[in-house]
Amino acid sequence: MEPLEKAVDRVLAGDRSAFQLIVDATSQKLVRLGARIMGNQADAEDVVQEAYVKAYRALTAGEFDRRSSTNTWLYRIVVNGAIDAKRSRKRRGEASDEQVEAGWDGAALAEARVALSELDQWLEALPPDQRATLVLQTMEGLNNTEIAQVMGVSEGAVEQRLVRARATLRQKREQS
Amino acid sequence: MTNQEDIEQRLARLSTETTALRPSAGFSARVMLAIQAQTQPSFLETTWFSARRLVPIAAMAAALAVVWAVQVDGTVDDELAASYASMGLE
Repeated sequence: MEPLEKAVDRVLAGDRSAFQLIVDATSQKLVRLGARIMGNQADAEDVVQEAYVKAYRALTAGEFDRRSSTNTWLYRIVVNGAIDAKRSRKRRGEASDEQVEAGWDGAALAEARVALSELDQWLEALPPDQRATLVLQTMEGLNNTEIAQVMGVSEGAVEQRLVRARATLRQKREQS
Repeated sequence: MTNQEDIEQRLARLSTETTALRPSAGFSARVMLAIQAQTQPSFLETTWFSARRLVPIAAMAAALAVVWAVQVDGTVDDELAASYASMGLE
């Protein structure tokens, strides 16, 4: 059994401090995923923190049925949270918040920040669900079946979102 | 984006360039603090939880009080009846 699943077992058995192991094992990829969908690190950290609180509550309340792996389950909570946050930002007409980078340093991270900003501007034209689907496929390396599990939709719906997202990006490129 | 770079190439490049993203310092500790803060019971919940343990004792005390009151009431009735009877005789 994987260390992550063992940590889940320990939390389910009442060892609540084991949740720290889950956070340590997953926070890097979840914040990266959140940042690629949200377009900046500050919003991503907010979304992922909220996702962990939800996950902890669900685990301690016995609501995690383990029909999917812990990784897929956490991805689902983060993706749903990011889509909701992105929609609510769009409704309020707010721009992305580019603040947290105070703790960042190093050339690789600076380059990543620049790339994230470029990604955000480029994908801004896409609806949040299409953006998340495209990120999961092209950047997180998930196949359509896995994306369907994470997003709670059919594989057909995943395919449709990907086609629409690429069509929008192609159209945007032709216009520019 | 260069003229030659198509959508797939640009996605692949941005994927590579954002691989270094990671949580800011202290993120894990902030998460654990948020969990602690948001899952701690409120004052009312704590009070109710503590008070719940006393409910069976309080219920038993109330039942005993009712039994005692009925017994005392019966004794008073008997004594009143006796005193009315003696007054009647007088």
